[in-house]
Amino acid sequence: MCGIVGYAGRRNALPILLDGLKRLEYRGYDSAGVAIVGSGLQVVKDKGFIANLEAQLPPLIGSTGFAHTRWATHGAPSKVNAHPHIDCTGKIALAHNGIIENYAALREKLESRGHKFVSQTDTESLVHLIESYYEGNLEEATRKALHDARGSYAILAIHADEPGKVVGARNESPLVVGVGPDENFLASDVPALLRYTDRVLYVMDREMVVITPNDVSIQDMEGKPIHRDPQRITWSLEDAEKGGFDHFMLKEIHEAPKAIHETLLGRLANLEVDGFLSQGVTSVKLVACGTSYHAALVGKYVFEEIARIPASAELASEYRYSQGPSERPLVILISQSGETADTLGAAREARRRGSKTLCISNVVGSSLTRETDKTIYTRAGIEIGVAATKTFIAQLVALYLIALKLGQDRGALGYDELDRLKDQLRSLPRAAQYVLDRADEIRNLAKKYGNARDVFYIGRHANYPVALEGALKLKEISYIHAEAYAAGELKHGPLALVTPATPVIAVAVQDPTYEKMRSNIGEVSARGSPVLAIGTEGDKELPKFVDDVFEVPNLPWVLSPVPVSVALQLFAYEVAKMHDCPIDKPRNLAKSVTVE
Amino acid sequence: MKAVILAAGEGARMGPFTASVPKVMIPVGNRPLLESTVQALVENGVRDLVLVVGYRRERIQSHFQDGKAFHARITYVTQTKQLGTAHAVAEARSHLEGPFLVLNGSNLVDGRFVEDLLGSGGKPAVLITQSERPRSYGVATVEGDRLVAITEKPVEMISNLINTGAYALDERIFEEIDRLAKDGKHDLPSAVSALAQRTPVLAIRTEGTWVDALYPWDLLRLNATALKGTHEVRSGTIEPAVTIRGRVSIGDGCVIRSGAYLQGPLSLGPGCEIGPNAVLLPSTSLGKNVRIGAHTSVANSILMDDVILGPASVVQDGVIGSGVVARAGLLAAAGAGDVQIEGEWHAVPQLGALIGEDVEIANGVSVAPGTIINERARIESGARLRGTIPSGAVVL
Repeated sequence: MCGIVGYAGRRNALPILLDGLKRLEYRGYDSAGVAIVGSGLQVVKDKGFIANLEAQLPPLIGSTGFAHTRWATHGAPSKVNAHPHIDCTGKIALAHNGIIENYAALREKLESRGHKFVSQTDTESLVHLIESYYEGNLEEATRKALHDARGSYAILAIHADEPGKVVGARNESPLVVGVGPDENFLASDVPALLRYTDRVLYVMDREMVVITPNDVSIQDMEGKPIHRDPQRITWSLEDAEKGGFDHFMLKEIHEAPKAIHETLLGRLANLEVDGFLSQGVTSVKLVACGTSYHAALVGKYVFEEIARIPASAELASEYRYSQGPSERPLVILISQSGETADTLGAAREARRRGSKTLCISNVVGSSLTRETDKTIYTRAGIEIGVAATKTFIAQLVALYLIALKLGQDRGALGYDELDRLKDQLRSLPRAAQYVLDRADEIRNLAKKYGNARDVFYIGRHANYPVALEGALKLKEISYIHAEAYAAGELKHGPLALVTPATPVIAVAVQDPTYEKMRSNIGEVSARGSPVLAIGTEGDKELPKFVDDVFEVPNLPWVLSPVPVSVALQLFAYEVAKMHDCPIDKPRNLAKSVTVE
Repeated sequence: MKAVILAAGEGARMGPFTASVPKVMIPVGNRPLLESTVQALVENGVRDLVLVVGYRRERIQSHFQDGKAFHARITYVTQTKQLGTAHAVAEARSHLEGPFLVLNGSNLVDGRFVEDLLGSGGKPAVLITQSERPRSYGVATVEGDRLVAITEKPVEMISNLINTGAYALDERIFEEIDRLAKDGKHDLPSAVSALAQRTPVLAIRTEGTWVDALYPWDLLRLNATALKGTHEVRSGTIEPAVTIRGRVSIGDGCVIRSGAYLQGPLSLGPGCEIGPNAVLLPSTSLGKNVRIGAHTSVANSILMDDVILGPASVVQDGVIGSGVVARAGLLAAAGAGDVQIEGEWHAVPQLGALIGEDVEIANGVSVAPGTIINERARIESGARLRGTIPSGAVVL
């Protein structure tokens, strides 16, 4: 995925574009570029972080333009493959987020008509296509070109002869308009705009938009105007500053108690979960990608335990292409950004199969919330660190709330049992804080275990997905190879890899599998692996079997994934910090993946 | 003008309430103490703040972040060793030029207080006020409107004018700080006294609010003072037959069940659930996500975030830390009590229980006035408590 930002106004565009681009750097950063119309079209681009680009920029003058930060899908990260791309005449510049599926056929056709291509990107075919249709009006030409193109995109285009105008279009990639006085903006995501305006318009799929300093016009693919009023954004850029912490990730881990409070707020006492109704729900399927998929896997155990309802979890990228059996479960789709391409595809597939759909998202008005019947928001606030932390915790809390509601409505929970569970949910912010208050202990453990080349995580039951998530965090930000296994599966293969050089991190809290877990720990320590266990406060036995124990508060097992996850997030953070990794922007990764 | 706020200290005399948060983050009137200082400065147009943090600094940073939510711009400076207030100010030196203010983050102050300090017009000054217990503070010797010296905790009565710990200073103070540091002295009052020997330092008597908490029971006085400014806010769900009198602020997402009786001033944080027929009396603050059971009565108390008080309980003049869970029938009524803090005994005429964070209390426990239950203790059913219960203890 990539980030784009566009500007049409009275001010000099360059500083505004660069500032906006930096706010989007989380979306990708293998190359960046900028195009500005002043006296003619000026384009500068380069490989690497935005700072690279900034360092070599000449002073570009002009008050219309756009900028782009790229995360490579077609064509390696390089200067020539960086956006913007320009046409043969050097008058049209285009930036694109998404994939043009039929680019090879388009390219062949255009080359046969004499168009000269310089890059390997799918995007370049689009700019030549626009050129071929251009007759003095950029939006006309863009519209015609998009009729020929197939795929997902958010694009921005400018023309040297049409200063003061930026043309955008969207299909399955995000695009928002920022509305200001005497200036208007376009961007992939709201943080790029917040410094300048809090009034935004969301562009929908198969829509085009034209901005000029005084006008925003949205139209469909036939050119018919669409009226839409701007919305006001209530959160602000301050959420996006580090506030004394070394990294956004650390700041965001420390916001876990707040994210839990906010997600529970007003929903717990009377179990009013954003109008979610459980009538007719006989089974649940949880569908997501990445970290959200790990939340979905925890959700499976939570639904079975609390609501006594059959539940399963599936990867969105697999679910989309699987055969749907005839039963129609409630499909719960989980995505922090609400823009994850595979999860969006899965939502459409679930609806096609006739299922009711519910989504859990952290971004109000995101695409997923418009593709599903109901939405439950995690209110974790904006998350900048590429590695998801507080939003994962908030997703778990949302799942607990839904499970409680289902359990109550289905009569699976008695009144007193429900009351007890509610009190225990109220204690979750404290459980997370307990771990955060012991960050020093985790720092020391990271020093001891963080120099390995490979690390294994093991867990069982609801804490198996927590082990998966712990390993993912370590991989993502510290680049240490980490694998997680359901502890019972060790002897079916992975045990062959366990040596004194491979530390094992074992989640061994008090749960129905605690005894089994202890024998699994025996299996690895017998092979000389150092074992760090995450155990329950006050467990006197566990320290006898392992090298180190980090304690989490004693909670019912179904809630234990919350404090254990916070501990494993901090552990990954401390290891990555020790190795001086670019924690907030790990290589090759982007915050939300809007390509398939 | 910039202001330096000292917020690095632990506040060991606050008993169990600083086990995991610095003193400046103890909630009073339902917001951390430090917020009153930040707000008072911002009201007076002082928005560029340097927070010197140390003990549990993550708690402060998570709350205030970069300051925009408080209309301020906050820079954090970490004091790794808590040597003294002068050392703390010196740590902020690279962020300061020209005149600046220094305030202590753990006092409850108002806008008038800062306005008085700004009255020095950029000249060096110290804010002083009258106190009933001057011997606990630095006492100011004054000639006309000029400071002569500050004497820390004098044995003999000098005057009842004490140093509030709020100063207007400029770079010249760093020379004094450096000089004194060579003698191993790191406190700011000594540096200011030394400065007063060389150049005029104004002693300004403040008309504003300045309330200090030395001991945990002082928090109740601060809380009552802070709640005087409560605005009426109705939010969340209020069931029928709830009585609300006086100024009561009810946060987002609260649920107040039938038959509850709420007498202001009261402040309820977001997400609280008040059981049927519960009684909340002045001057009480409940933090976030607090649940009060049916038929429970709470008066003149601070209940911090995530506290659960079961049904049929009584809490008077108490301070209850975050995450305390008490099942049914806790009896923690007020009376005269002797309390031991850091080895010293104090006779407190009217006090209930002081309960640290995450203490778990089973059914039917009674707590004598002035009892301190330290953090994470577990009290089993039917226990009768007095004195001090150590942290993590299990009482059968």
